Amino acid sequence: MLEITNLTKVYDDGTRALEEVSFSVKEGEFLVVIGLSGSGKSTLLRCINRLIEPTSGKIMWDGEDVTAADSTALRKVRRRIGMIFQHFNLVRRSSVLTNVMAGRLGYVNTWPTLLHRFPREDRERAVHALKRVGLTEQSNKRASELSGGQQQRVGIARALMQEPSIILADEPVASLDPVLAHTILGYLEQLNRDEGMTIICSLHYLDLVQRYATQVIGLRAGRLVYQGSREDIRNMTDEQFKEIYGEEAVRVATGPLTGEQQKDGE
Amino acid sequence: MPRNKKTKNRNDVSVRPLFPAPVSGIASLLVPGLGQILNRQVGRGILIILSLTGIIALFISRMVALAPRLTGSQDIFLKAIGRRPFFLILVLLATIAAWLWTAWDAYRSAKLRRKSGAIGLFAAIIVAFFALGWQISEIDLGKMVTEAPKAWGPLSKVLWPWEAGITYKDQTVSADAKVLIGTEFPAPLPNEKKSKEPYLIVEPTRGELSRVSDSNQMIPGTVLHLSGGNFRPNTRTEIWWIDPIGNEFQPREGGKYVSVTTDAAGAFETSFAMPYQLVPPSAKGPQYDTAEARQVSRSGPPLPSDALKLTVARMVETIMMGMMATFFGILFSIPIAFLASRNIMSGSWVTMAIYFLTRTILNIVRSIEPLIWALIAVVWVGLGPFAGIIALTLHSVAALGKLYSEAIEGIDHGPIEAIQATGAGRLQTIMYAVIPQMISPFISFSIYRWDINVRMSTIIGVVGGGGIGFILFQYIRLLQYREAGIAVWFIAITVAILDYVSAEIRNRLL
Repeated sequence: MLEITNLTKVYDDGTRALEEVSFSVKEGEFLVVIGLSGSGKSTLLRCINRLIEPTSGKIMWDGEDVTAADSTALRKVRRRIGMIFQHFNLVRRSSVLTNVMAGRLGYVNTWPTLLHRFPREDRERAVHALKRVGLTEQSNKRASELSGGQQQRVGIARALMQEPSIILADEPVASLDPVLAHTILGYLEQLNRDEGMTIICSLHYLDLVQRYATQVIGLRAGRLVYQGSREDIRNMTDEQFKEIYGEEAVRVATGPLTGEQQKDGE
Repeated sequence: MPRNKKTKNRNDVSVRPLFPAPVSGIASLLVPGLGQILNRQVGRGILIILSLTGIIALFISRMVALAPRLTGSQDIFLKAIGRRPFFLILVLLATIAAWLWTAWDAYRSAKLRRKSGAIGLFAAIIVAFFALGWQISEIDLGKMVTEAPKAWGPLSKVLWPWEAGITYKDQTVSADAKVLIGTEFPAPLPNEKKSKEPYLIVEPTRGELSRVSDSNQMIPGTVLHLSGGNFRPNTRTEIWWIDPIGNEFQPREGGKYVSVTTDAAGAFETSFAMPYQLVPPSAKGPQYDTAEARQVSRSGPPLPSDALKLTVARMVETIMMGMMATFFGILFSIPIAFLASRNIMSGSWVTMAIYFLTRTILNIVRSIEPLIWALIAVVWVGLGPFAGIIALTLHSVAALGKLYSEAIEGIDHGPIEAIQATGAGRLQTIMYAVIPQMISPFISFSIYRWDINVRMSTIIGVVGGGGIGFILFQYIRLLQYREAGIAVWFIAITVAILDYVSAEIRNRLL
């Protein structure tokens, strides 16, 4: 259970990225965060594992106060939260295997890893993770040699190495074409369904939201403006959609829910 | 104007003259460019004024330089034209053409109310500057041809200098005999013939040296008769004279060094007058000089000459200088690069001040050539490779500091964020996200710098900074073109190898 209470983030330049955001996520949910770019989605996700320090508010995870954790405790929190990114954020010059192994950095001793030494079971874990995302062949290639979809799968493998309870996915498919988008979200859905991992994912397209989300929150200018269940989102009207996205919002008519969408749009 | 509407380019910008067209034209005829300014084409007007003023000033100063010691302006003009007719008339015509064209341009632009191309005007200005430049920089293509035969001698030595690169051991066969100067003391006994070893017998064994009389006449000394045996047969044999304290020289007879060729049995006979030599007044007791017959021949395998050995040693020194300067340059520039990176230093105004200060210092240090730094370093630590290393290090730190800081500014924050998100610590983040991103530009820039430093250190010796440049410069000044050629060859070979190696390393690593 992840409980976020009155989370506020004000950047040094005065930008109010998050304003008193409160919501909670039960274990095993697939929570999708929607909102325009600049609405605070990325900031929200990064506050959860404190890549960005929240200005005020509280994040409680299974009874532990994440916002109050010192660096040792934060390390333990972070290693149980996997994260994948819009631009994959792989180290492009390093090999796929090294990128995946980096997922274990939160668990192992610091000094051996500085010489790229990892315990044997971690190496086996990496091989297994790469197999799971179907990249066994590519493990010795440089990350930069891979296609976008493959790079995002490496990102997922890296997150899997952490054996996470939560995966934060910041626009994981925004740089990919629609077919690849379904592949990547399919992996996340599988992890959510089969292993009970909580997924917190920001997405742009309503179609994808309707297809994958079990719970949805909407942000607009840093404020929580929408909160809905799987049923709510499936019955979402254009008015609600526009409330989140603003007047300029347009539906992208792709994906498997085209029929429903037309009904909604009428 | 219909043509204006049809085409749209920069020349169609309309000109808004302050006065009627003829006024602009006449203004530009009086002061070139003034008409354009009156047409509100200020930029063009100023450009024309500056160009024509420059041309005329250079033209006059050139004429004065061509006619030294003349004062009347007409005399100067005629003399200068007489000496360099073609160039000066060309400049004059181009200047007049530009001047008239300027007036025409001002008139036409004002009349048509649009900018004209005026390519001819600027062509005339460029021609004038080109002709002046040719004169001032003393370009003389004829000289290249007429002087070529003279250059061939030294040049051929430089092109194929290896004769000076080898030497042979001298093998000397010699025998000597004592001669007493003066008549106060009893004469020493003459040498005896030996059966195996070379011998030299001088008769008499006592005599007077040649002298110079008060009227500057040479008074020949006692004629000595020399006979020797058991030398190498049919070989040129030099006669040497050695004074009591060991100074030796070859006496001359009729302007030529005394020498003799042995017969088939290895024996010879010759005679010459005792040479001119000063005996110091402080010399006491009997003064024995020595006559020596000497056969010198080269023997054994070819050996590297001193010049070659020196060149190799200096080349090694040069490469080491480049290496050490690069090493220190990398060492010092890494911390400085962080201070000169905007993304690292953007935290507060204090760090930004440090950033700007560092950048400024780096820019200043970099804009001063290593040769100048070497001159300063020579004053500081004296002649030698250390001064060169200081100069190259300073320049390397400045150059690498800038390149590295740009690499640091270029790193992607995404991977750092991703590694932090796994729970990695600070050191792990640096090792897994920062270093992999910086390693290739760092290596690439460092090799590039090593390349530059070795090249630079070949020349830095010219100002006393050690390395091969020092001996190269010295050989050239001593007109030892073969030795200089060896140095040139070594520099060329080393730089070529280095070029290849650094390109290879870069290809393999990146």
